[in-house]
Amino acid sequence: MRHDFYLAWRYLRHHRTRTLILVLCLSLIAALPLGLHRVLDAGEYWMTRRAEATPLLVGARGSAVDLTLGALYFSEAGVPSIRMQEADRIAATGWADPLPIYARYRVQGQPLIGVTLDYFDFRGLVPAQGELPAILGDCVLGADVAERLGLGPGDTLASSSGNAFDLAGTYPLKLHVTGVLAKAHSPDDHAVFVDLQTAWIIEGLGHGHAETQAAPTQPDSPFGAATVRRADAGLLTYTEITPENLGSFHFHGDPATYPISAVIALPHDARSATLLRGRYLDDKSATEMIRPLDVTRGLLENIFRVGALFDGILLLVVAIAFLLVALVFALSLRLRQREIETIYLLGCARLAVMRLLFAEILLIALLAGAVCAAVLYTAAPHASDLARHFILS
Amino acid sequence: MPTFRILSLVIALVAAASAGGASAIGEHKLEIVASNYPLAYFAERLAGPWATVILPAPADVDPAYWRPDAKAVGAMQKADLILLNGADYEKWRAHVALPRLKTVDTSAGFRDRFIRIENAVVHSHGPAGQHSHEGIAYTTWLDFDQAAQQAEAVAKALIAKRPELKTAVLDALRSLQADLSGLDGEIKRIAAVKPNLPLMASHPVYQYLARRYGLNLKSVHWEPGEMPPEKEWTELDKTLAGHPAKTMLWEARPAAAIADKLGAKGVASAVFDPCANRPEAGDFLVIMKQNVENLRTSFQR
Repeated sequence: MRHDFYLAWRYLRHHRTRTLILVLCLSLIAALPLGLHRVLDAGEYWMTRRAEATPLLVGARGSAVDLTLGALYFSEAGVPSIRMQEADRIAATGWADPLPIYARYRVQGQPLIGVTLDYFDFRGLVPAQGELPAILGDCVLGADVAERLGLGPGDTLASSSGNAFDLAGTYPLKLHVTGVLAKAHSPDDHAVFVDLQTAWIIEGLGHGHAETQAAPTQPDSPFGAATVRRADAGLLTYTEITPENLGSFHFHGDPATYPISAVIALPHDARSATLLRGRYLDDKSATEMIRPLDVTRGLLENIFRVGALFDGILLLVVAIAFLLVALVFALSLRLRQREIETIYLLGCARLAVMRLLFAEILLIALLAGAVCAAVLYTAAPHASDLARHFILS
Repeated sequence: MPTFRILSLVIALVAAASAGGASAIGEHKLEIVASNYPLAYFAERLAGPWATVILPAPADVDPAYWRPDAKAVGAMQKADLILLNGADYEKWRAHVALPRLKTVDTSAGFRDRFIRIENAVVHSHGPAGQHSHEGIAYTTWLDFDQAAQQAEAVAKALIAKRPELKTAVLDALRSLQADLSGLDGEIKRIAAVKPNLPLMASHPVYQYLARRYGLNLKSVHWEPGEMPPEKEWTELDKTLAGHPAKTMLWEARPAAAIADKLGAKGVASAVFDPCANRPEAGDFLVIMKQNVENLRTSFQR
């Protein structure tokens, strides 16, 4: 038996190109469906994990899938905005803590997410370097964004204007990077986070501008009115927030009417969750409350339906591939007819030839298996990234 | 004898368990940041030994005009509870990032009763720079009924953070509210003796005090350590002609020269310290009791 494998190995080495092609074909045929399943499993894990951690989500009435993907996975499609008063409404019930999220803008291709600092506690996000945003204009980077952009604490990056044709002039704001978050293996790694108020400054709802007369005059009478002349806001609007001009930044209008994308509601208990959901049963309301886990499960079912179709197609491809391999072996036997005759003439039994062929097939299968395992092992750490790229984003 | 031993053992175990519990609470002291001294005082009274209360504004600065830098904001972010006065007191609030769920606006319960100041005067506080009192009057705690509501908001926040302290916090709240109610009743009684007695105030910070206790109060914009210019004395004379006040309330003792010049016009100076920052001696209650006594003297004049 040992000699069979020795002869088979020598034969395969002799025809190394053919052997290599066969091994690669077989290993890839095996690795493809297994790898795809691993990516789908990773996608399911990450989607379910994030959805499970997000009990309730409030957003504009419409597509629950868009709302979930926009607020949880920061998808590029975005979601229609709602008003900040929705967060106040949830807080006023006393049944849940609201976490408003504003995910409208992107910065250098990455989602720019306006949150309150509670979001970091909620998702367990801590800075690996630097600190969380403290002052207007500060931002903190997700681990992958920091790596991709090569930025760290002390660096700056400019927000992109929401609309190139925006005549109201929402200027790009120079954001100060105060920290980089530790890797969370979630969509948070791909986002740039700012305080909600900074997001509203980018939106143009707040701004800082120079005054024509920095020192207002003292009125003649101590009981007279203040006389402060301010510059036209359009003349010089700051595009960077510094300690010197911070005091001039202000907001216009009622903050309760300011836009946000969604509110994550964290109910205090099951009863509170039920009561809160009852508040959003009115179909005529402009907002709706969803359970991201339900939406995600529905989405995953669709993904796995597509996955099952892929499985069927792959099975067919595998069967065809194996038939082709069998054909290659059959043709190879014909080509090796003279070689087999020589083996017989040397006094070997027909079984010996069969054993030699079996050893060849086994060695090829083992080599293909090893290559397949190596490919899967190498690709495994990237399964999550691939899942996030192809499924979550 | 065995019964005595068992009883001793049980008592020793209970004592050890309670000591362990106390130390467990002590190890996890709540860190509370308050934006002014009245709130810090309320938190200290309510949370007792289970909390460390921090007033980040420096001792020599009026917390209403203090602006936190990034370091101070970072420290606030790490606190368990951030107590805000509200009523536009924390003008820095829109410029910093604070965790919303840890932040308590203690005056939110009476937001509909805020006093709005129109056409306020811009004036200076020496090195602190110029400012105006335009907007919402913010010394809400000088109405002791409102102060009691703010104390209640602090208590609710504490209980929400540490439900196990509910009984202790509620007991402390009752005691604090009794003290505030005592001050409230005392000023009501003082003011009732001479309703509509004309009074002057050196600074427009007594709006809630005047509203709650029906004080007939008019304000100038003077600083205790800065002699007002001559034209402001002239304006004061004009005001006194129609509003014959015999007392001017000050946030702090005025310079002798100012007090003397006022005295020459028949206007005595009385300190009613809003106590926005931690006092050098005593505490909020001591200062407020002294304020009440000073007010009583003014009404007896």
